[in-house]
Amino acid sequence: MAERPEDLNLPNAVITRIIKEALPDGVNVSKEARSAISRAASVFVLYATSCANNFAMKGKRKTLNAGDVLSAMEEMEFQRFVPLLKDSLEAYKKGQKGKKEASEQKRKEKDKKTDSEENVKSREEENEEEEERMEEEETKEGEEEEAED
Amino acid sequence: MMCCQRMAAAVAAPAGPVESELDRSGTEEDPREAVSEEEGCPQQQAGAPSSASHNRLAKLPLSRIKTLMKADPDVTLASQDSVFIIAKATELFVETIAKDALVYAQQGKRKTLQRKDLDNAIDAIDEFAFLEGTLD
Repeated sequence: MAERPEDLNLPNAVITRIIKEALPDGVNVSKEARSAISRAASVFVLYATSCANNFAMKGKRKTLNAGDVLSAMEEMEFQRFVPLLKDSLEAYKKGQKGKKEASEQKRKEKDKKTDSEENVKSREEENEEEEERMEEEETKEGEEEEAED
Repeated sequence: MMCCQRMAAAVAAPAGPVESELDRSGTEEDPREAVSEEEGCPQQQAGAPSSASHNRLAKLPLSRIKTLMKADPDVTLASQDSVFIIAKATELFVETIAKDALVYAQQGKRKTLQRKDLDNAIDAIDEFAFLEGTLD
């Protein structure tokens, strides 16, 4: 699927909200400044990805993992982000675990239903989850290696 | 940083229709992605205090972040965790650059952040050097 140019931008509304929450009340942001910050954010993602990927390649891994991103942050001189990112990651992983258990429960319940529509939907979700699981399995190996350090 | 500028040129292109988007990651992306996007969708966390949202959920849609990451030809696969961390880091980056630019607006006794404040911040601050030449 070809990527449209708008796919490479981050949603304006979200960027605007992040900016507003960071700045004190009463401060406004011009449209040009907002748009420039949004573009800067996209460039940041590209740059961070590229840096992180270098670490993955150094580790002879094909899957970029969280540790690579944290290393990239240090390389990019954003080390002050690292503690906050580590905390967020912990919370995120817990949330993901809970979601997986919840959706496995859902699937068990859905299997009982004979409605064909439901089956199609759950199959789509399964496919998506398998993708996630594949990626996560590869990550787990990498993360376990990191954890041993 | 050449690869950065090349890709950034693609990003810098039209910002046109973005204003009218619903900002619901589910409508634009593959509907399958909507399942994993639930937590990141801003509409579902209206009124959540920023400290809580900082700790758990990403405000930026993970699917969009992933699309950006895949634009790099050297990237084969990215774990979900890594996509999340990049999303979170990008939020922090946006906050940081906005605050840094504000200093220049205040120096100019303005309450509105303008494009030139951003340019000044990028020129002055080392960590933003990678942005030079990418925003035009």
